[in-house]
Amino acid sequence: MNGKLVSVLFLCCIASPAPAFDFNLDDLGKTLDTLKKVQQATTDINEPKEIKLGSGIASNLLGAAPLLQNQRVQKYVNSVGRWLALQTERPGLPWQFGVLNDDDVNAFAAPGGYVFITKGLLAQMRSEAELAGVLAHEIAHVLRKHHLQAIKQGARASLFAEFAEHALQEKAADPALAKLVSAGTEIYARGLDKNDEFEADRMGVVIATRAGYDPYGLPAVLQTLQGMNAQDSSLALLFKTHPGLNDRLSLLDRAMSGQFDRFEQQPDHAPRFMTVMNKTGILVNTGNRR
Amino acid sequence: MRWLLVFCLGWSMFPAHAGETAYTVRSTDMKAKPFTDAATLASLPVNSRVEVLTRKSGWMQIKNGGATGWVRMLNLRFGDAAAQRKSGDSGLGALFNVAATGGSGSTVSTGVRGLSEEKLKNPSPNPRALAELRRYAVNEKEALTFGKSGKLATPRVGYLPAPAKEAK
Repeated sequence: MNGKLVSVLFLCCIASPAPAFDFNLDDLGKTLDTLKKVQQATTDINEPKEIKLGSGIASNLLGAAPLLQNQRVQKYVNSVGRWLALQTERPGLPWQFGVLNDDDVNAFAAPGGYVFITKGLLAQMRSEAELAGVLAHEIAHVLRKHHLQAIKQGARASLFAEFAEHALQEKAADPALAKLVSAGTEIYARGLDKNDEFEADRMGVVIATRAGYDPYGLPAVLQTLQGMNAQDSSLALLFKTHPGLNDRLSLLDRAMSGQFDRFEQQPDHAPRFMTVMNKTGILVNTGNRR
Repeated sequence: MRWLLVFCLGWSMFPAHAGETAYTVRSTDMKAKPFTDAATLASLPVNSRVEVLTRKSGWMQIKNGGATGWVRMLNLRFGDAAAQRKSGDSGLGALFNVAATGGSGSTVSTGVRGLSEEKLKNPSPNPRALAELRRYAVNEKEALTFGKSGKLATPRVGYLPAPAKEAK
């Protein structure tokens, strides 16, 4: 029994006006039930609800930054992303990947299989393996439901329980859903738990490797960003919402610790990446760091 | 003029680092080839200044004191060692950013950047873009064809545990 439960039980006991042991067992049962519901809410949100919540958050994100108008790039990023997702424990989610037409350097995930990457981040990459590494990091957030946990921690517990409990409404407006969607969007301005980011880094490397890519794609992108001018305003939101790049690189280095040497011959498909990007006007990193 | 254009196009196809400055974060061996068992050319002490030429998987080809060789990529950080130590990391960069822009999370959007915090805190949904996003989705079969076209193997690799220090 955890601490919260114990303290609630204790409060129930001392708050009873009647003789101490005369409390109503039914009421106690109900209190325990509610507590349990709140605690299990993250796991209790079923997949359709997770997707519904994610689509609302994705729609909000698209309200803040539009999609890049280039079908070839969008299809390419979806191909890499879906191929990566097939190597994970949730291959069947309706995965959707989008490139945002924004010069900010960032990437986002929303519950249920939504993954976004900005044009600004794409422009810093040099190969398909680097793209795969970043997408795999975001995929990991979806797999581990990091956003759901963050929403749950931030929102009123009863709100989350309400959404988890009620049947999903297709047509009618669901006030609990609307509030959770807003809360979920705000998390992009605040960031996830630091350890969730480190976990997504470690999982991202593994997922990219499982998909047949050079394992060092994600570390390479992080290293590129580490080399950029920290005062660059296009990095401000990423820096505010993520742990420091030196910390991320050091932890990845230690976690990987030589275990990936045997995958170093896996392709990075730089030529394929360059071919797709070269015809888009997206500035690809050519070594002349801006 | 035409040659300049050809040069630029050729250059943009080359995913190199082309002479960026980096430094070693620990003492590291410089190898003749990007392999652990390749011949060691030199041993670079911590904070050695190097010039990065290109990356090959977990290795960076570097120049140091006239010699060229390969070092483990994650033994390097870009930039100047002294400057990095000054600015530090662990979110200090973000703090400096806030200080530089004079805000504390409520930076006024200049209209140039779409992804402002303001827009994320007061969002307006874009169902049209969401529908467009759905049209770009790739199904499982298409994804498998894509993987095959890239001759991408699917080795079995387990997730990595957190290094000891991370668990607080």
